[in-house]
Amino acid sequence: MTDQITFPDAVQWAVPFFIAAILAEFLWIAVKGKGGRYETRDAVTSLIMGAGNIASGFALGFIAYAFFMWLWQITPLNLGTSIPVILLCFVLDDLRYYWVHRFGHRIRWVWASHVNHHSSQHYNLTTALRQTWTYTFTFMMVVRAPLILLGFHPAMVLFVGGLNLIYQFWIHTEAIGKMPRWFEAVMNTPSHHRAHHGRNARYLDCNYAGVFIIWDKMFGTFVPEQESDRVDYGLVHNIGTFNPLRVAFHEWVGIWQDATQPGLTLRQRLAYCFAPPGYSHDGSRDSSDQIKAKHLARHPEDRGTPGFEQSEAETPNTEAKQA
Amino acid sequence: MPLEILLILVAGGIVGVTVLLHLSGKSELRALTPELAQSEWLRHAPDDTIIDVTVAHDGHSALIRTQTGNGLLWSFGADTVARHLLDFDWLEHPDGFEIQFHDFGTPKVIVHLDDFERRHWRHLLEPV
Repeated sequence: MTDQITFPDAVQWAVPFFIAAILAEFLWIAVKGKGGRYETRDAVTSLIMGAGNIASGFALGFIAYAFFMWLWQITPLNLGTSIPVILLCFVLDDLRYYWVHRFGHRIRWVWASHVNHHSSQHYNLTTALRQTWTYTFTFMMVVRAPLILLGFHPAMVLFVGGLNLIYQFWIHTEAIGKMPRWFEAVMNTPSHHRAHHGRNARYLDCNYAGVFIIWDKMFGTFVPEQESDRVDYGLVHNIGTFNPLRVAFHEWVGIWQDATQPGLTLRQRLAYCFAPPGYSHDGSRDSSDQIKAKHLARHPEDRGTPGFEQSEAETPNTEAKQA
Repeated sequence: MPLEILLILVAGGIVGVTVLLHLSGKSELRALTPELAQSEWLRHAPDDTIIDVTVAHDGHSALIRTQTGNGLLWSFGADTVARHLLDFDWLEHPDGFEIQFHDFGTPKVIVHLDDFERRHWRHLLEPV
């Protein structure tokens, strides 16, 4: 199938809206005296990461697009470009986003790309633009392959993916508390996504949704924001740099340093690349499960509350136990 | 969108937001007190038991002694960053000490110290 179909690059067209919304949020916080925090270097770093994300799309986007067009050549299916098909594509692409995002937190190779989005200790609209420069190297474009093989045109898939990212922009704010109950039940909201950005033990590895929060509810990863446990934004081990190059590449460098240290087995080297973040061959680091278990050892009263339903008391690191 | 317009919007947006935030006082470093340094350390390292806290006179760094060893907490914009002093080097610096962490994501921090406290911190940083 080689028919030429074009869709606008929605993210590029949204840039003026992004700038206007950031100014509006900043003024809202300044006038109200609540609803978030801004810091100059943090915000500038986030904006430069956003600009770099667009630049990396120009520089490396052809790789994914060539892959998608190859898939489009071999699929016998073509669902066309009617409005119902675009809507269906949007919903299915959001399911694709959920899984890519979940992989992004549970596979260190993908986390190396996504970590920079979580590297700010702030949560405002500039944080939404703190995006990866290295997504191409995660090879997560393969997760879109089923959509194209099912007959959704690559240009349409990329278009709805852009709409998905634009939707997620506005939920990066503390200026909005809760949306109406029906909206919170179905859609990803500032409240749900604040929890996702939390480094508190309760909020680790939750709320991966892009647009529809229903995926988290379906797959057991939903944790509602708790008034009693205010979200602490950032990484478990916060980085100490505003340098965009270090922000973009620090986890890749960490993978390299970990996987190439002497004396490891091949399995351990691969685990440093692909196991969940926090893996270590000697038990010197904590995974999110271990962080939750340690939290419960300190705060047993939290057992069974949201985010700790399936957590056990502190468990020893299995690798360390074997050693 | 034409590339020239996109470039102008992105560059103009970054410069505009930077100037606005700086002029509205959003570039100030977090000021640490002993109590704040203690609570911030426990935010970063909740498993630790703190023995004592030494805050630099400029209020932007604190040396934390814990039962598992020393750590450094420092102002990072409006926030803080903390590291256990495990794999690190420290060098004399005209303003105090330069602590190097051998970590690409947290390469180094300058601890500003006056002459009086420099001697005390040197003693605290020496390996036990």
